[in-house]
Formats: sequence, structure tokens, C-alpha cells
Amino acid sequence: MLNRRKMLQAVAGGAGAALGLPAASQTAQGAIASSGGPKRIIFFMQNQGFDPATCIPKSMTGSGSLANKTLPEPISPLEKYKERLHIINGLHGMHTTPSHSAFFGALGGYRGGDGVPPSAATIDYQLSKVLPETMLPHLCIGMDSIENMTSKPTIANLSASGAGQPIFMHSNPNHLYQMLYGGISSGDIRRQHEARSNVLNQIEQLAAAKGNSLPKSDGQRYGQYVQGFRDANGLRDRLDSVSDHLREFAPKVDERYTNPEFETDWHDCLLDLGISSITSGITNTLTIGSGRGEIFGAWKGLDIDQQGHNLGHMKQPDNPIWIKIRQYNSRMLVRIMEALDSVPEGSGSMMDNTLIVYTSNNADKQHTSGNNWPVMLLGNCGGIFKSGCFTQVEGKRPINSLYATLLNVAGQNVDRFNMSDQMAKKFDDSTGPLKEILA
Amino acid sequence: MIIVRFVYSLCVAGLLLATAPFAAAQGTQKNGETYTPGQKIKVDFKGFASEFLATHCVDCHGETDPEGGLSLHDLGPVDEVNAGVWRSVWAQVTLKEMPPQDMDQPGVIERLKFSDWVVGRLSHVMRDKGGFQALVDPNKGNFVDHELLFGQLPSNIVLKPTSSPARIWRLTPQEHITRLNELINTEAKYDPAKPGLRTHGDAVPTNHGGELKLYFGTDRIIQWQGGTVAYATAVKSVPAILSSARKHGLENYPEFYTVNSAEATQIMDVADDLLEYMAYGPLSIANPEQITDDPKTYKIEGDIRGLPTAIVYNTKVVRPLTPVYELMKDKGVDEQKLRAAVDYMFQAMTYRPPSKSESERYLEIAQQTIDKLGKEEGVMLGLSAIFLDRDALFRSELATSGKPDEHGRVMLKDWELGLAVNHALSYIQPDEQLQQAIQDGRMRTKEDVYREVKRMLEDPSIRKPRVTRFFRDYFDYDLGGYICKDAKALAATGASTRGTAHYRAMFDATASTDRLIELILSEDKDVLRQLLTTDKVVATRSDNVYFGRKNTNEERARSLAEAKVRAEEASKEARAQLETLEKEFAELEAQVKAEPDNKQLKKSLDRQKKTVANAKKKVNDAKNRANSNANHNVTQAKLNGPKIHARVSRRSFGTGSMKPDRVLATAPEGQRLGLLTHPSWLVSHSDAMDNHAILRGRWIRERLLGGGIPDVPITVDAMLPDEPQNTLRERMRVTRESYCWTCHRKMDPLGLPFEMYNHAGIFRTTELDQPVDTSGEIIDSGDPELDGKVSNAIELIEKLAASERAEQVFVRHAFRFWMGRNETLNDAPVLQDAHRAYRESGGSMNALLLSLLTSDAFLYRTRSEALLAGP
Repeated sequence: MLNRRKMLQAVAGGAGAALGLPAASQTAQGAIASSGGPKRIIFFMQNQGFDPATCIPKSMTGSGSLANKTLPEPISPLEKYKERLHIINGLHGMHTTPSHSAFFGALGGYRGGDGVPPSAATIDYQLSKVLPETMLPHLCIGMDSIENMTSKPTIANLSASGAGQPIFMHSNPNHLYQMLYGGISSGDIRRQHEARSNVLNQIEQLAAAKGNSLPKSDGQRYGQYVQGFRDANGLRDRLDSVSDHLREFAPKVDERYTNPEFETDWHDCLLDLGISSITSGITNTLTIGSGRGEIFGAWKGLDIDQQGHNLGHMKQPDNPIWIKIRQYNSRMLVRIMEALDSVPEGSGSMMDNTLIVYTSNNADKQHTSGNNWPVMLLGNCGGIFKSGCFTQVEGKRPINSLYATLLNVAGQNVDRFNMSDQMAKKFDDSTGPLKEILA
Repeated sequence: MIIVRFVYSLCVAGLLLATAPFAAAQGTQKNGETYTPGQKIKVDFKGFASEFLATHCVDCHGETDPEGGLSLHDLGPVDEVNAGVWRSVWAQVTLKEMPPQDMDQPGVIERLKFSDWVVGRLSHVMRDKGGFQALVDPNKGNFVDHELLFGQLPSNIVLKPTSSPARIWRLTPQEHITRLNELINTEAKYDPAKPGLRTHGDAVPTNHGGELKLYFGTDRIIQWQGGTVAYATAVKSVPAILSSARKHGLENYPEFYTVNSAEATQIMDVADDLLEYMAYGPLSIANPEQITDDPKTYKIEGDIRGLPTAIVYNTKVVRPLTPVYELMKDKGVDEQKLRAAVDYMFQAMTYRPPSKSESERYLEIAQQTIDKLGKEEGVMLGLSAIFLDRDALFRSELATSGKPDEHGRVMLKDWELGLAVNHALSYIQPDEQLQQAIQDGRMRTKEDVYREVKRMLEDPSIRKPRVTRFFRDYFDYDLGGYICKDAKALAATGASTRGTAHYRAMFDATASTDRLIELILSEDKDVLRQLLTTDKVVATRSDNVYFGRKNTNEERARSLAEAKVRAEEASKEARAQLETLEKEFAELEAQVKAEPDNKQLKKSLDRQKKTVANAKKKVNDAKNRANSNANHNVTQAKLNGPKIHARVSRRSFGTGSMKPDRVLATAPEGQRLGLLTHPSWLVSHSDAMDNHAILRGRWIRERLLGGGIPDVPITVDAMLPDEPQNTLRERMRVTRESYCWTCHRKMDPLGLPFEMYNHAGIFRTTELDQPVDTSGEIIDSGDPELDGKVSNAIELIEKLAASERAEQVFVRHAFRFWMGRNETLNDAPVLQDAHRAYRESGGSMNALLLSLLTSDAFLYRTRSEALLAGP
């Protein structure tokens, strides 16, 4: 995940360009502004479903502006950003068989489920490949109970780079910090970073030595393996070389990392790291799995004693517990936007070229058939997307059509995403982008 | 997901090669020259290929009104622009599709030479664009002429002694995860009394959802809070890291895969988890209080379902206690123990002992990390480097130390030969005897290999997951659980649409078919024929539906009516009983009123009250039964027989995990015949909505008849019409258009006889309320005795199972699997020997394997120095 040869070749021209340093980003941003495509994207997947009643203002009777509406309590922290908000209701994901969770199917738009491996790449990975290149093309973070994040610091449930190729979420902020900012760290993290770097350098040397005198065809194939280490080590070196730049964005390591009181401390740390990976220009795609795509999760730091599956069994509307969770999500979305607002890019800010997609990996509720899959978009990417409004999608359109729309605005001319014509006959009334959400 | 497309269609139409006579007669070469297949053709386009085209092609594919709209009159030397056309020309000529059969044909050598020339030029031209991959595509193995491989070669074709290229071979995901599993889990010893249970040496199977995962400590879990999903979430597992793009056909040639950097990074992280577990067992994933033989001592407060803390482990140590454990159990770093741990890990990951320099190097890495991080973290990080050694991820067959013979071939020896033999059958380390033989210098000759292979084949306690894998790759029966079914279309088959029941049934069916194959292999007689014609079924309860018969509308109505009558009768009986009991109760109640102090009577009344309540419940139950959703769509099979077992995943989904229990039953007579009529194979060759007759036909064409299907032209993306009122056969009329039919005639008539089953694999006599048409035909099989019409799949299979050609094609696929490459004409003697061994032994798979694994193709490697990579 750390290293793509092609990407690094682009980086070789100058670390600043790859990292979105101000001087370089001026040019890049100008290009974006004229082409109007997003430069980066963030997926926020809350588990247990996203009940539309918790996000659609009660007085909305159909598609329309949010201007004179008050957002429901669960998403009230977004009130002052509602001109950037687009609430979409009426997409479906029946073919993803969500039930408890569609797992990879949520971002893949195909059949998912517990223990079902990914059958194709997911949308976040696909976008990471076509958005303007960055050092680290795709970062996934997963938030869960402290016990799960400790015993299973990486897990793969939501994202995939292809059939049978899961992408892992990072859930231990200490590990993630080391990966991203080891070069500017101190103390234990620094020591771990140096030790790991040393091991990786030696692995590269050993691997390279064992590649000598291989038959030519094998040499090329094996060379890709060795190159992987060169890339990883090279990336680390490059990150080290721009450490001054990274220092501006890297979060401060504090007690919450090493001695969290609640799991929400780690959630916050992970979010900080995710935000910094975007603002520093390390990555162009961030996937946040709150609940890590499963049917459990805990938010004791919000004074919620219940955890896990019980949360799913509750009805979400007017439920004080779900109001707390959704507000916490919303505050996280605000933090992301505020952070991106604060970084100049072109004539505006990073947020002007960023899209946030907030939804659930489980459609509208626990035990769902997936016949309604509410989504919130934040940001309009230079006016490409409609914002400040609510859209009730007409007809039968799958979440795949939203993903195809995202690919289109990222410059990919596709009619569908992960959906054959045969499947589309059954699950999609139309083809191409969701015109309702585009300006 | 598999899409119904008749994409295999138009392949041929464009190329109607033509008529003019060609000088070379069959099997002769001008000037008495000899020809060795694959030899470098030192002729240029003008002097050779253009002449071939002019003689055989341009009459029909000329400038004016060319057949199929394809002109070849101005096709120049192979270049990047016209490479696609040349690929088609190569495929058509090599497969003898062109010139058409009623035209004069080029001679054998002329055709071979032309084919080799095109391959040489395409390989050169495409060298910077991924190369010309057809020769390393197992699905194109059949492009080598079957008659030349198994028949008499023209006298001036001179074969060269065969060998395989020196190479490294990346592990498959399943091999890799089985290798890792050895580090942390102790699998049961082979039990001859229960030979079907998963045991040490078997591959780690996929779990309840079809995912390949490595599980930590499940054999010590004695309690958990919550249900199936809570368990699945709480338990520690890691998914397979290496990836495989396989869908259909042989999974893993050496050329297919490398390890990318994302995989390497993840391997390092997983290594840390594994090493921790090796050192500390469940303590690495649980708190001390969770490890107890008395779960009551572990007080769980509140709802912690889905958390790792919701699990209780027993105290019995069952994981392998290795030098890593020895190193970590005491304080301080003992250098000897550290070295032992390094050497142990190296051998555990690479299956051979480290050389001195390897041992020193990894020891040095471990010492450095310990110095930096201290023992606890340093050991884990230091040892994790070994997981990324080349030989932990790739098997090497480089033959660097031997002396080449006069043909430039070097025989594998010692560890390389021993590990190649081991890998031919097994995923785990060589057993002690084989290791000893290697160390004693007794793995250097063909006889050595014969001895070890024979010993391993004869010992059922040495598990042979590679053999199982071959049959999965060959038959493709393990894909059913991954075919996403449309819920309505699935409901129409009669299979259950409840939750994930169908998918679970399919993963069970894969394990069942594995086991059935094992049973046939244990007999080792007439193996292919048995596989194709067995009436045995390894079954779970849900197979009573899948091996059942789809009811006609009349039968369904009758079944519903009968169920209603039964329910009414039961209800009536229950009501009558209730009335009697209520009457008795009333009488008793009156007595109690009369004698309020009679305690005995009061007790009787209480008892009677409960009896009445039970009777009321029975009445309700009877009513509910009338409304129950019993399956009226299918007349279930009655699959009974001795209890046996199939190999399934460790507990992955709590009480809902896969179960190994099976029965060995006999399939309903007249409805099934062998593996190709089992739901596991049928569903694997279906799609979301219906059967996939093209895919099934292609399987028969390629895997039993040895035919080749050219690539679909990229311009073709046609779909079957969406006509729910029409049968698949009717909708497939579009493939019978002349443009498509040239290829589809090879597949469709072989796949349509399987219309006797619906797309869940359930036998049917009607389709859309009409008698189902199950007719088909074998066309141009290469064996005239086979050709002809068949009335259904059973007749088709009976013909094919009796065919020597099918046997030979089976041998060809076994060759590809075990050699890791496509056969060439130079392998003809190896294939003929293998087939002879199979036939003369009465159809023994073991005899076939012994022949293949002692062949030159298996034993020798060629290292052309000209091909060596530069420094």
C-alpha cells in the first residue's frame, strides 16, 4: 500500500510536488479548478446503518434546498456547513445483501457478507488510482472498541484492490503514526521506526541478492518483489526528506496514544492522523470505518455503556444513544472540513477540491435488505456537485451509480461500476452518472 | 460474477483461409530436412509467412469482398499494430480451424513451422508490452495438436529431450496460509478410523463464507458471549495475504504471480502476530483471566459480544511449542536460543535448513533489533524478516549446481529436488524420511524420486492437498459459493433463499465433492471414469434438496394440497385430544371444588393444567404447520448411507460454523451420473440468473475433448436476449448465427444437455412448464466414434467416460498442473508414458503421478545462459 512505482517516479521529480507543498500545489490546484475534478476523497462509513430519519429534515417532502431547513439533531453539528451538504436518499444496495453488513460489498457494490471475500476492487481504491497522485495512494483507518483495536490492530472488511485482495484498515494510532511520521517522531516510536527501517533495508538487500542470476523472465517477476522493498524504503526516505513539511501537519503524540482512557481517544487520534495524511498531501483517499465494517463497535467515551450488536438492534431516530454517535460522526466531519479549509490551495482551500462521502456499510439500518441507502456528500469540488440540498433519487438506482458518478467526475468515462449489464437490468433503471447530484 | 455472454463466439468468422494447394505433403519437409518443434525459425516474412498467407489465406481473405470482412492480402510482417490480427491467424492455423477442412491443408511441419514463426515474432514484438502470453496460458494448452501428441509423428519431426525451465514459483494463497498455520496451530493426527476429518497436512480450507483465513487459538475456545457473528468478530483471524486471480482453470503457473509491496508489508505485520502467538499463545490475544478451565471464574460484566474479551480459552497448551517459545519464556537473550529460533523459523518458512550465511545474517538482524528495542519487541521484529525471505514466498527450482547434459539440461537434486517432490503432493514440510533422504544424498536420481513418491502416495497419513487442488482446478467445482445468485431466480429453482443458506450449501458442497474425489482416489481404479460416472454422493442434509427433483406445477399443487390435508388431520386430531383433556380437566376442577382440602386432587389438577396447555400448543403447532413454508417446489432426494466426514474450516462462525458430518449416499437413479451432474459443478458453471450452457460446453470441449477455443475478438460483447418467457436454449439462438456458430458449435451442444438441471443443480423434467429439451451433440471431437447426437447429459457423459481421448486429455491437464507449464510436442513421450502407465494400471492416479513425477519434464531444468538476467 505504501508504494507504487509509478507514483514514486512522479514523486522523484520533487517531493514538494507530491506532498502538495504550497508552491507546487498552486499549479496543480489551478489545473483542478479548470478541470473541476476532485483532488481527494474521503469515505466515512459508520456501521449499523444510517437511518434517513436521522439526517433528512422532517419538513422535507421531496428534493429541494436545505437553506431554510434545520438539520435533525443527530447531524446538527453540520448545521453551519449545510450549504456544503447534500443529503441523498433512495439509492439502494439490495444486490450487496447487507443484512448485518455488506462488508466489501458496501464500497464494492457487489454481494458481500461475513466471510465473503471481495469480488472486485472497491470504489475508494479505484478512485485512489485516478485522482492526482500522492505518495500514499489510499489510507484506511478503522475505529472500534479498544479491545478489538489492540488485539486486531489491522483488519480488512471494507476496501479491496481487486478480487480476493483486501486492503487493511489501521486501528492502532501508534503504529499508524510510526508508518506516517516515524521520521519526525521521538521516543519509543522513533526507536521502533528506526529498527523497522533497518530491518526493511536489510530485507531489501537480502531480497536483491537472491535475485541475482535468476533466469531472465523470473528475474523480472522477482524484480517486482525487490522493487516493492525499494519503493517502501524509498518512500520512507522521501518522507524523511520532507520532514519539515510533515511537521506542520503531523498531530502531536500525547497520552491518548499510549494510555487511552476510552476507545474514543484512539478514534480521535486516528482521525487526526487521517486528516493529517490528507492535509500534508501524503494521500488522496481516506477511508474511515467507524465500527470497522462489522456489527459491533463501542463509544464509551461518549457515555454510551452499551456496545456492539445492541446498538444495532435499537431504532436510531430519536434515540439518545444514536444521537450521540451520529453527532460524534458529524463533529468528526466538521473537524475534517475545518482542517482542509485551513490549508490554502489555488485560490481557495483544500476543501474546495475535496469530497467527503458519509454513509454506512449497512444501508439504512441493521437487518436491512438494502433497499434504501442514504448518503451525505460534503463539498462540491468547485461546483461540480450540487450542495446545500436534499435529493430523493427517483427510480431504482444502486449505490454503484453513485460510485460511477464519482469515477466520472474524477475523469473516468464509465457508465457503471462493478455492475454487469445483466445485473443492471435487474438493479438499475438507468445508466451513467447520477445527474441529480451533479450541478 | 459470471456473466452470460456468448463472448466466445465470433472468434473464427473472420478467418476463412482458402484453397490453393500447397507444396508440402502431410508430414514431409522439402529437401528432407528435419524439424524440431519450437526451434527458432530463421526465415523472414517475405520468404516464408507471406508465401503461406498467399497460398492458404488470400483467396478468401483478399482485397475484394473478403470473408468475414478480414483482408490478409496486405498483412505485413508482425508489428505492434497488426499483432492482434496475427494472434488470430496464429490461433486459427494452430487449431487447424483454418484453412477450412474441405480445403487443401498445409503439411504438418509447414503448419508447425508457421505457428512457431508467428509465436517467435509476436514474442519479440510484444516483449515490452507484457509479451505474448498464449504459451503460458493453461487454457491454451490444447492448442498443441492432440493427434500429434498421442499419435505417430512424421518421421522428419525430431523431438528434443524435454525439460522445464529453471524458475521460481510463488506459493498460492492456500499454500502460504497453510504454511503459516503450521506455526500456531496443531492439527489433529491422521485417524484411519475417520479418514475424512481434517488432519495435519491438509490445506487450510476456506471458512463459512468462502474466505481463506488463518485462525488463532480456536481450538482452545470453550466459551464466548453472543452468537455466531459475535464469535466471528471476536475471534482472532487474518485473511490470506497473497492474491490469486483465478476463476476457472489451473490456478498457478510459475509465470503468474509475484509478491507486491502491499502484500510484503502485510506479511511483516502478520508475522508479528504469529510470532507473538508462538511465544505466548492466547495470552498474546487475551487477558490472563480469560484463560481458565472454569469459565465461571471469568466474570463478564455487561454486553461485550464481539470483543476479544468475550472469549474464554482453556489452559491446555495445544499450539506447537517451538524454539521461539523457548527463547521467550525466560528472561534475557540466550544467544544459543536465539540462533535456534532463527534457524527454526527459517526452516519453518522455507522448508529447508538455512545455509551458514543465511543463519548468520538473520541472527544479526535479530540481534540488531533486540539491541534497539529490547527483547520483547526486538525478537518479533527481527524474526519477521525471515517471513519475507525469497524462499519463504517462492519455491526455487534453479538447478544452479548441477552439470548440464548434452542438451543443456540439469537435473534437480538434493533440497531442490526433494522440495519439488514434496510440493508435488504436499503443502507442509517434507516428512522426516524425505528430509533424511535429502541430507543423505539420496535425492539425486530418478529412482530416488520414484521411491519417495511411491512411499508418499501409499501412505494416507501423508496428506496430499496438491492432488485435491488439481481436481479442483481441473473440474472447477469449487466456485458455486462465489456465484452471486439473483434472489428471485434462485427461489424459482427450489433452493432455499433464506439468508446465506444457498451459499453455505455451496461451500459445503465443495468440501463434499473434495471428499468424494478422495474416496475414488483411495480406490485408485479407473479414476477418471469413476469421477465421471459415480453414483455416489457425499452429502449434507441440504443436499436432499439440491439432489432432489424440481416439481412440476401439478406436483407442486398436489404437494401443497397434501400438506394442507395432513395439517388439517393433525389439527383435527390435536383438537380432539384437547377436547378430551379439557373435559377431564373440568371434571377434575369440579372435584377439587368439592374437596378443597384434598391435596392429592389439587396436584392432579395442576398436572392436568399443564397437560391441557401442552395440548393447546399442539393445536397451534398443527395450524402453523399448515402455513409452514415447507419446500413444495422440490421432491427431495433421500440421501442416506454410512456416516463419513469432509474437511472443513476451523470454527469460524460460532455454532454456525461448517460441520464435517456427511453421509455417503447413492444419487437418485437415472437423474445423476458423476461429478458433472453434481450441484457443486453445475452451480460453479452457472450465473446469477440461469445455467451457463456455454461455460459447461466449453469445459467439456477443453477438459475432456482437448479442443481449443480461440480468444473472443475484442469487438464482441454480445448478450443473450433478456426474454424471461423463453428458455436458455431459445435465447441462445443468437449464438447460432453463422458469425458466432463456428466457435459456439464446439461448446453449446455440449453444454445444453445439462439443461436437465436448473441453475441450482436441481434435476428437472420441465422448464417454463414445458418438457425440458436436453438434447445435444458432440461435433468434431477428434474421435469420430464419439461424434453424434445425445439425448441428455447422462448419455453425453457415458460416451465421454468411455473415451480414450478424454483420458489422454485428462493426462494433459495433469501434466500442466504438475509441470507448471503447457505441454509442447517435445513432451509427447512423457504424455504417452503417463497415459500408458494410467491405462496399464487400470486407471490408477498414483501410477499416472509416478510416471509424471519421474519424467524428464519434472526432473530436469534448462538454464539457458543467454536468458540469464544481467547483474
